[in-house]
Amino acid sequence: MAEILFSSWGGEVVDNRQKDGQDFEPVNTVDLPEYFRQDEAVKALMGWYGIVIRDPETDIVDLSRVYIQEVQNKSCGKCFLCRIGTRVMAETLTRICNGQGKSEDLEILKRLADSIRESSKCNIGQSGPLPILDALEHFAADFEAAISAQKSVAAGTYHSKLTAPCMDACPIHLDIPNYVECIKEGRFAESLDIIREKLPLPGVVGRVCVRPCEEHCRRMNLDAPISIKFLKRFVADYELSKGKEPEFAIEPSEKTGKVAIVGAGPSGATCAFHLAKMGHDVTVYERFDEPGGMSAMGIPDYRLPRPILREEVDRIERMGATFNYETTVGKDIKLSQLEADNDAVFIAIGAQMGTTMGVEGEEENYAGYISGVQYLLDINQGRDPYPEGKKVAVIGGGNVAIDCVRCSFRVGKDDVNLIYRRTKNEMPADDVEIHDAEEEKVNFHYLTHPVKILAENGKVVGLRCVKMELGEPDESGRRRPQPIEGSEFVIECDIVVPAIGQTMDLSLLEGREDVKTTRWKTIVVDEVTKQSDQPKIFSGGDCETGPGALITACAGGRTAAFNIDKLINGEPLDYTEDDYFDKFFSKVKVFDPAEDIGFLGGRERKELEMLDPDTRKFTNAEVEQGFSINDAMAEADRCLRCYRVATVRV
Amino acid sequence: MVTLTIDGKEVTVPQGTTILEAARSVDIRIPTLCYHDRLNPIGSCRMCVVEIEGYTHPMAACTTPVDDGIEVVTKSDRLTRIRQDSLKLILVNHPLDCPVCDKGGECLLQDLTYEFGIDQVEYKAAKVERESQYATPLIRYWPDRCIMCLRCVTACQEIKGIGAISIQGDGYGAQVVAVDAEKCQSCGECLQVCPTGALTEDLSRYKGRTWLVDRVPTTCTYCGCGCQLELNVQNDRVIAVTTREGVGVNHGSLCVKGRFGYEFINSDERLTKPLIKKNGKFEEASWDEALDLVASKFSAIKEEHGPGALAGLTSARCTNEENYLFQKFMRAAVGTNNVDHCARL
Repeated sequence: MAEILFSSWGGEVVDNRQKDGQDFEPVNTVDLPEYFRQDEAVKALMGWYGIVIRDPETDIVDLSRVYIQEVQNKSCGKCFLCRIGTRVMAETLTRICNGQGKSEDLEILKRLADSIRESSKCNIGQSGPLPILDALEHFAADFEAAISAQKSVAAGTYHSKLTAPCMDACPIHLDIPNYVECIKEGRFAESLDIIREKLPLPGVVGRVCVRPCEEHCRRMNLDAPISIKFLKRFVADYELSKGKEPEFAIEPSEKTGKVAIVGAGPSGATCAFHLAKMGHDVTVYERFDEPGGMSAMGIPDYRLPRPILREEVDRIERMGATFNYETTVGKDIKLSQLEADNDAVFIAIGAQMGTTMGVEGEEENYAGYISGVQYLLDINQGRDPYPEGKKVAVIGGGNVAIDCVRCSFRVGKDDVNLIYRRTKNEMPADDVEIHDAEEEKVNFHYLTHPVKILAENGKVVGLRCVKMELGEPDESGRRRPQPIEGSEFVIECDIVVPAIGQTMDLSLLEGREDVKTTRWKTIVVDEVTKQSDQPKIFSGGDCETGPGALITACAGGRTAAFNIDKLINGEPLDYTEDDYFDKFFSKVKVFDPAEDIGFLGGRERKELEMLDPDTRKFTNAEVEQGFSINDAMAEADRCLRCYRVATVRV
Repeated sequence: MVTLTIDGKEVTVPQGTTILEAARSVDIRIPTLCYHDRLNPIGSCRMCVVEIEGYTHPMAACTTPVDDGIEVVTKSDRLTRIRQDSLKLILVNHPLDCPVCDKGGECLLQDLTYEFGIDQVEYKAAKVERESQYATPLIRYWPDRCIMCLRCVTACQEIKGIGAISIQGDGYGAQVVAVDAEKCQSCGECLQVCPTGALTEDLSRYKGRTWLVDRVPTTCTYCGCGCQLELNVQNDRVIAVTTREGVGVNHGSLCVKGRFGYEFINSDERLTKPLIKKNGKFEEASWDEALDLVASKFSAIKEEHGPGALAGLTSARCTNEENYLFQKFMRAAVGTNNVDHCARL
């Protein structure tokens, strides 16, 4: 990595300007990428957390000008100091850069920067002037020289971006501070419009998202993160309760074409939404008789009521997309046919097959041995997967495993066990889900691993397990479980459900070896454009990434839509500036969990009302009751609006 | 209950109280500009920033709830600098047309500028020409005077539930515009809460200075709600209607009629004496003459056709008491139950 000349990032000053290369002190607070894109080396960064300079030729005065101008451009105008103050700062710096600086300018800049930073309403103003203060302190001579020279400073090339920790963490980059603020102000319809600029499924995502945003919510450093997920659900539910049909403006692309989408899950639906919005002729092929893919077939109704999902997808249909249900691509219609008939094909078939555990008895096809995916599919289609069985053992620690155990009660199973080889701390399932399952009295067997499925007359009668202990950490950083010798025991059960992972059924690619796949059976595409080796074939969602978050699948569908649009319009599928910033921010972290915010916290996070665990476990009624209007507005009011700006000198 | 200290004074208030409310409860004044009693805290002016012991960042007193044991400081050199800068930045391009501004003399910005002794502004920024995009025949918007405190936007949304106006644009170019002009009912809630002269009542422009008018409290006569208002009277002419916050059932709100429908009072076309039609022409008469005539005609009808031939209809613009008396009159004096009221229709 090229050495850093100066850094004040995160408040830690490293000044190597007077040193020889070999004596350079390292910078620990930031990992500045060497390149913004292939032909653009990163010379310097100015942003919410300070300054980082690599290239000695960087003109700090010009960098400050461009940066604070960007802060001014992004200032929302809702508080006096940021709105007008950053404008005064930007004009003052522009004047200095034009060779018209005055001696009192630096004093004015400093005083304003202090006042704006100390009192602005949101983080644009609170963080915006910070690097200018650093610059004035550590590069005073450069500013003074620029003022006394009275001649123009050479303007450089820059890239700037507004982001926020939550926005950056969200795979589809929803403008979270903005839509949360609308809720706070009672502008629910506007809030929903902001969400729908990117995501057509707010009611679904507002229920089942794994919410990476909340893990990067800066409010966490004060008390607890904002309930972003449920706020999204609130606005979606509010609209539905008012019976209001959303209006989507269709703005046709210059050239429109025909696109086939395989799979009506979150990724396919999101792709269809954006393509339909751009006026393309979209046909979605879905093997089931209803939309949602794995979110309909894999997520139980008590977490995601199907009417919500259907309504949100039906709206995409009403926008003009065609949905062909009960049509399996590969069987009813060949992929090559779709490719020939359309300008592009988007494959979003999900990860619809369970993986096996590799324990004895798994290959025997015993009655009562059912994969997690199949188990949930049956229940979601209204069938008891195995009416004869009453005692269930589910193996796994993810959300699917939790769904399987909780669903079991709801189809009348009375002895429900969950078997996981590590402890609760390492469990990948959502903490809320684990808590709810505990409330419903699932028997949790931690540090337990199955070794053999026991059967009599071809029917499951039990599961032999072994006790585990945690050893050294493995490559995932979690401690590796090891069996304890002689600790084997039997869990009596007549249903065994492995829910340890999912894989892809790529049979639609038969005869299409030219579409490259990985050894994990995912389709190989460009990580940004979602285009495969075959120019007309794109892929996104679980079948591209492997089993992952629903919102990631939606994000894949959205980017694919924009790149398909480019393809149809004969434009090159170049990465956008936003794409490069995504990579940039994967190194320069937008969220610092150790940041001391300096505010008084202590405002409680609003929680949802839940159905009583003793009764809810026997019904499919939705467990979590949405926010009331007052609670939603109060919760939205906790948002710190952590917008921040970064300017990269290339 | 939560106990804290503000400027060394111990205060005990219910949980959820803001620092500003807590300070006011013990008569400690924290300057405010965008804060309005009837609105949720907006937090745009930053005048109410306070310091809390142990926290590096000053916080807005209006939006920060109290916490047990905190020590709040409301006055310091740093806070004064911030408050002064906030005002100075507004004054960067705020027109100094106070002599011709309707709000001159009761303008919060004027008062605070005076209080903080701001006699010069060292900050400069080019003026952005703002268009007046929000106006009705009754409400005038002066974009240059607007400090964007957002009281109007918040009141339209929170009090009226209309949301006709909002902020548009970013940064320095942001301004208040009518995003949904058709929804606007010209109720004037926005100008009622405007702390400066950015929103003014267009009927009363240049009719009288605020400090020269008498404000006569009265009840609105347009309907039976009984909204309280003040007639602004100068030289025996009503030149405007204002309201006082927190007074009456309306707490300061009015509808378009109550706020703007006062010009008839001094209208030359208004009848001030009874008229009696003689030979096909109305002629002025005395009250005794007119009432005698009505009484005799009523009596004649009652005599000839019975009291059932008469009916009475009153107006919702009468008070409850007047309506009561009227039905009493119809029933006891005239002798009929034929009495009704337009508000029932």
